[in-house]
Formats: sequence, structure tokens, C-alpha cells
Amino acid sequence: MVITICIGSSCHLKGSRKIVDQFNELIMVNKVEDKVSLNGSFCIGECMNGVCVKIDGALYSVLPETAEDFFHKEVMGRLQ
Amino acid sequence: MLREDSTIGNVKYAVLKRVAQLTYEGKLEENIDQIPYELIPGPQANFRCCIYREREIIRQRVRLTQGKSPSVNHDNKNIVQVINSACEGCPIARFSVTSNCQKCMSKKCQQACNFGAITMGSDKAHIDQKKCKECGRCAQACPYNAIADLMRPCKRSCPVDAIKMDENGIVVIDEEKCIQCGACIKDCPFGAIADRSFLVDVIHVLRTQGVDVYAMVAPAIEGKFGAKADMGALREAIKDLGFKDMYEVALGGDMVADAEAKEWAEAYKEGKKMTTSCCPAFVNMIKQHFPQVLKNMSTTVSPMAAVSRMIKTMDSNAITVFIGPCIAKKSEVIDSIGTNNADYALTFDELRAMFAAKQIDPEEYEAKELQQGSIYGKEFARSGGVTAAVVEALTEQEETINIKVRECNGAAECKKALMQLKAGKLPEDFMEGMACMGGCVNGPGTLISELEAKKDRIALLAKADKRNIKENLDEYKDVQFSMHRKSK
Repeated sequence: MVITICIGSSCHLKGSRKIVDQFNELIMVNKVEDKVSLNGSFCIGECMNGVCVKIDGALYSVLPETAEDFFHKEVMGRLQ
Repeated sequence: MLREDSTIGNVKYAVLKRVAQLTYEGKLEENIDQIPYELIPGPQANFRCCIYREREIIRQRVRLTQGKSPSVNHDNKNIVQVINSACEGCPIARFSVTSNCQKCMSKKCQQACNFGAITMGSDKAHIDQKKCKECGRCAQACPYNAIADLMRPCKRSCPVDAIKMDENGIVVIDEEKCIQCGACIKDCPFGAIADRSFLVDVIHVLRTQGVDVYAMVAPAIEGKFGAKADMGALREAIKDLGFKDMYEVALGGDMVADAEAKEWAEAYKEGKKMTTSCCPAFVNMIKQHFPQVLKNMSTTVSPMAAVSRMIKTMDSNAITVFIGPCIAKKSEVIDSIGTNNADYALTFDELRAMFAAKQIDPEEYEAKELQQGSIYGKEFARSGGVTAAVVEALTEQEETINIKVRECNGAAECKKALMQLKAGKLPEDFMEGMACMGGCVNGPGTLISELEAKKDRIALLAKADKRNIKENLDEYKDVQFSMHRKSK
């Protein structure tokens, strides 16, 4: 599974880098390194709804405060 | 600066400059639809059939400047993108007989053709395009050089066969194959292929209060902005763009040479062959076309990543922006998020547009001298430079091994050596891979060619002192960070 995270300036300033670090840590803690990888993306064009995160073509709005819940629900949820 | 006959360069530059100006003023959104009309006021067309097509090309170029794909419904993650309104759909009949044909008696072309595609017309030979397999034997056989090879320039330039045509003859890039080297961008005579940009993003973060943005300039920069734009002048000019500070990526070159020398020495003793990992298009070539060779690729990060990690070790909230001649570096940024690598990458052309937007000329700055990279790090930008630096680092580390290195100059040479390495038949111990002919100094991200910049570059590099790699790195030994990729 590839998680695409927008690194455009708007998402960056809303904490996309922090979310990437959180995801990296969660990937390690949940031992899914072989199943999940992270990739950056140019501006997705939904700056009002940033930070933009895409999984399998579906677009989500994530914030550093919601990143952990999101990971458990959308990422681990899909893997099970 | 730009030559007046460089129409494509001027169009590209005009778009980048206008977008940079408007973004600096915070007025891009409200004026974006006006840009095509400002740049192409009409009523006469300047470089294409009509003003409407010219304006559409400008509109698509503006989208690229924002990091978007030129066409709404052709979105993909590739850095290199086709401006389909600018693509001329060049004739795809590859071999054709020119008026040089003497309709000679030997008819070597006809004999050379294994497919019966050549017949004799009333005054010259004729190629049946339905039968032609584009093998090129007729062209080689003709004693008058009368058969022209008209392979489309984009297709000819691509080292990995990623260029295809759609049913209308418009270019399509196969993103599974594309290594983002940018050769097609340089070679298309209609300027129909271009790279996505982080320009708007970078100016946005520069305009945001309380954010520390650092520039990291590639070692190819010396000479590209004139003889007077030395590192000290560039640093002050770049600070006036809104950056907090500037670092030389040549320093990262020194760090990479030092780390790779240790890796190479170890590999040599184990009898393992190894490749460099600093050129991102070369890295993409290995990942996408020679995955079997990945285990032979050095695990040392790129000089860009090294300097970015150093800056973020000193200032954990820093935003780092690479500025270089390279387009593939943008893919390195996208592919390496979460590793403290650069947050954005710009090209020299984009930097030039930012200078123009803010009416800054780096040659006008009287600044104190600055040197952060040794001459070895600075020469990473030239084909053979990485090898020379690693060999120097080995000597400084008192390794006495006598290694043989294949210096692959350009993507075609890289491909050949990688095929040998994959087959276990590479005669040398190591290979240096540079996707651009001549090295980064010939990269596609700058309209100033190596030939135009060479004299100024030689003059600027002559001013560098003779410090060696170790002496240079001792200055930074207090800043601790990993020089290697994550193991996976």
C-alpha cells in the first residue's frame, strides 16, 4: 500500500512533515514496513482541506492531531 | 544571459518570472487567468500559428509552475510532463530519402533492406513506410548519405525508451519507464516537454513569517550566474529572496566522498562491486530498469540529502530547498519524504526567475568570500568528479588499495555498464553514474549551457583554496547525523 502525502506549501505549513514522521513511527511500531510505503506528492489542489493524504486514489484530510487515529482506521483497517 | 534566438527559453523564463512576481506579491490566484493575455497580447502571433495556441501553451506552462500537470485529465506523478498544446506531432516516418539521392546503379540501399521496403522512383529511391522496420541499414549503406534519420528528437533523446506517441502523434511519457533525467526537455525543439515546479510552493513558504527556509545550491552553480557571482555574492542575493541562509551542496559532496570511500574500501576487500548513488536519474535507472543491481548501489545518501540532514540537525524546524541544474532531484524529494532530505527542489532557471521577479542581480553584490566545499566537492558537478573525490578521500584515509572505476558519462554509458554489472561482467570494481553528458554542469534545469558558463566557472573555481576533504569536514564534525539511507 502506498500512502501519498501532499508536500505542497499549504499542507507543509499545516504539518505534513510531522504527519510523515508520525506515519513512519506507526509503520515501525505496527511492523508493517513491508506492506506500507510513503510517497510525497506535488500540491493536490485541495489546500483548504489539507493536509491531503491519498490511499488507493481516495483523498483524506489529516492533521497531526488526527494522524494516529487515521492510521489505525484507514491504514491498519485496510491491511486486516 | 539568455540569447535572443532562444525562443523556448524566453517563453519559459517569461512564465516563471511572471508567476514568481505575482506569488511574491500574493496576487497569483486573482491574476492567474490574465497571464496568457499579458504575455501574448496579440493580435500577431509570435512563435506559433496563432495567438490562441500560444496562450494555451502559456496557460499550461503556468499550471506546471504551480506543480500541476499541464492537462487536467492527464494527471500523474511524473516530474517530466508533456505540454500537449505545444507538441508539434513531428512526422514519425523515421527514414526518408532526401534530394541527395543519385538513383545510383549499385542501389546499396535496396540491397541493404531486408524487408523489401525500398523501390526506385522516377528520380530517387522511395521507402514504403508500411514495410520499413526502422533498422537504419539503408541509411548506413548509402554512399551519398542521402537517407535521413528523422527520429523525433524527444524519442532520440530518451535513454530508456519512455517516449511514445498517441494516435495523433502527440508525445506520451511512459511513467513506469521515465527516470526524470530531463533529456527530452532539453532536446524538444518546440519546448513541448517541461518539468513540474515547486516555485510557487517555495515562494509561499518564503513569505510565511516564522519559518526558516534554507537554500542549498548545487556545485554546478559556479559560472551559471556570471563571473562575479561567487558563493559569497550568491549567498547574499539568495538571502534577499527571503531565505535564512545558503549552503553549498559541494560540502555534501565532500561528505559523500568521505562516506563512499569507506564503503568502497570495505566492498573492495569483500570483492563486491559498487555503484555511486548521487545522481538521482541514475538511481531511478537502477530502481526501475535494473532492480537486480540495487544491492550494488552505495547506501550513502546524495550530497543534497547530506546537507539537508546537516541543516535539520542544527535547526529541526528548517525547510530545506535544493537549487540545481537537475530535474530528477525533484523526484528524489518526492520519493524520500520523512528522511530529512530536501523539502523542495528548484532549478537554476527557477532561481533566475525569482531573482528577476525581485530585481536582484547576484553579480552586483560585493560580499565577503565564502567557501564551504573543497575543490573535490565542487567538482562533483563534472563527469569523473565523484570518482576523483572518492579516490582523494581514500588517499586521505590512508587506504592503499588500487581501485578501477568506470566513469559513465551520460545515460547511455550508464545503461551499458549496468547491463554488464547485472550480468556479472563489469570489468571495473566500481562505477560512477551520471545521467547527463558531461555531468550536472550540463543538466536540463538551466538554459545557460556548459559552454557559455565554462570560462566563468574556471575563473571562479580557480579562487577556491586547496583544503582537502578531511580538513573541510573537520569544520563540521560537531554536527552528527547518518550518511546512509534506511536499510530498506
